Order: sequence, then structure tokens, then C-alpha cells
Amino acid sequence: MTLTIDYTGQLASVVGASEEAVEVAEGDSVADVLKGRLEVYGEKFGELVFDGEGRIRSTLLVVLDGEQAAGDKENLSLEGVKVLMLMTPIAGG
Amino acid sequence: MEDIENELSDRDRAIYEWQLNVPGLGEQGQVKLRNSTALVSRIGGLGGPLALSLAAAGIGKLILVHGGHLRPDDLNRQILMRHDYLGKNRVDAAAETLRQFNPHIEIETVAENFTEGNAADLVERADIVFDAAPLFEERFLMNRECVLQQKPLIDCAMFNMEGQVIPIVPGETACLACLYPEVPEHWKRRFPVIGAVSALIANIGAMEGIKLIAGLSGVNLNRLIYFDTLAMKLQKVKIVRNPDCKICKKL
Repeated sequence: MTLTIDYTGQLASVVGASEEAVEVAEGDSVADVLKGRLEVYGEKFGELVFDGEGRIRSTLLVVLDGEQAAGDKENLSLEGVKVLMLMTPIAGG
Repeated sequence: MEDIENELSDRDRAIYEWQLNVPGLGEQGQVKLRNSTALVSRIGGLGGPLALSLAAAGIGKLILVHGGHLRPDDLNRQILMRHDYLGKNRVDAAAETLRQFNPHIEIETVAENFTEGNAADLVERADIVFDAAPLFEERFLMNRECVLQQKPLIDCAMFNMEGQVIPIVPGETACLACLYPEVPEHWKRRFPVIGAVSALIANIGAMEGIKLIAGLSGVNLNRLIYFDTLAMKLQKVKIVRNPDCKICKKL
């Protein structure tokens, strides 16, 4: 299935785009997709998305079809999801 | 006619005549604005235009919180400043501009940023707080104090060509710590900014605050309003309270 990923903030700067479409396999989780993008975008992407233990950062907002995903980010299902939005924190004044 | 608590003066009716015609606002909403105190921290690219719009709307009192002096690299976005203010106290310059724009509102200046030492007192003096600070440490202080004192907080932020606004009503909505449980490790004090972007986001924040104070409908509670000015795309992200939030879980 095709998944649209929206990137915001520092993550959009690292990726060099605010949106991309990726093919994901049935049963893939958010974490699986992020690990796949890490292979494409490298270390800077990884720093913004994963903490020192390889878990999705607590400060990364994961939004599925317009709704913030609450709770454990490691096991978020993508079933039926069309748009995954990844929002890094911003505070510019 | 003199101002009285629940009525507008003839002077205010004349100044805000066009605004009084906004459906849902009217004289009652304008009185609420006039009787309110709004705190804005800080008065930079976001906070400056935000304070200007609050002054235009007739907020009764503004408390401007910002430490430091005006530098040349502030001038691409800090629209309350002027070149001849360079090297001067930033918050005094902002107050001077605002007083010229609307001499009928009260303006208090605090020439320092939010700290552990002043946060409780500053929030106590306001009915609503507008967060336009560039550092998460300050933002978390404002959030914590607003939650403790159950005051609404309009959190405004921008980066590059995008920005976001989160209206926070303690006990009703997610707070900033629900979304970001710790200081983001990779956020940097210096960020890319075009003044028009910060002013746009500031005015979204001002509108959410004005709606909240004046009792208008349509406040975006439990929503993060995100605006990408490159694509000119506005999105309202549904956000949720964190039941384990260390700041607001008891409310």
C-alpha cells in the first residue's frame, strides 16, 4: 500500500521535503517505516526520530490521518492509515 | 461617558466600532477584552505582532516579558522595533510602539525572561498567557505555571516556513508537557525565520486568544493548528491529553 509521509520542522529540513509517498508492506508498523526512512536519510534523521536506545523519541509527535497517536509509539499500527505526519518540536519566537 | 466595568465608553465604541459588528463579539465581548490582562512572552518575531494585534483588539492590559537589547539581526521580523532602537532595551521599545498605536490600553514591561524565580508571579498577574519564547525551558515554565494556576495558555511556535498554535486550557485540553514530556534534545536557539511567517502564526495565536477571552465560539481546543506557508496549507491536528502527564494529570 502507498503511505504519504508528511514531515514538519527540523525533520522536513533533514529530509529536504515536506511530503513523500512510500510503499509499505501489510503489517508494517510506524516504527518499521521509520527504520526504513532512517536507511534512506541517515544519521541526522535518526537523531531527530530515535533516542539513544533506538526508541521513537518521546518528543516526536506521530500523527495518523490527522490525529495524534497516543501511548506506546513502538507498536503503532498503520492499518488503514493513509497519511503519517511526523512533527518535531518547534519553539521559534 | 467614563468606562465602567460592564459597559464601554463612547470613546471605546468609536474606536472598536467595526469590531463590535463581528457576529458573536459585540459590546459584551469587547468589554471582556477590555477587562482582561494578557501576558506575552517574548516580544520578538512572534510576540511582537501578537501583542500588536491584542492592542488593536482592545485588550485592557498587556504585560510584555522579554529580557535583552535590540540587535541588528532582530530587525527582519520584530515589527514593534525600529532601527533607532538598536542597543536599547527591547521591551521598552515594544511598549513605546504599542502606546503610540493604542494609548488607551495599559502596558506593563518586564525586562527579563521567564525563570523559576518569576514564573509564578508573572502568570498570577495575567488572565491569559501567550507563549512566543524560543526556548523550551521557558515554554515549560509557562505551561507548568498556567496549569498550576489554571490559566489559559496560547502556545505559538514557528520554524522556517511553518508554524503552529496550540490553545491550552488546563484541565480541558492537552498541555505542552502532554505533547513534549521532556526538553527536545535537538532544538536549537537559532532557527530560520521570515518575518511574515512569524507574524502570520502570531495572528493565528492572537485570534485563538481573542476568541477565548471574548467568549466567541470556535476555539480550537485539543487541536494543534499547523500552517505550512510554503504550500499555504493549514491543518488542524487532533491532540490528546496524556493521562500520565507529570504536569496536568491531576486536573
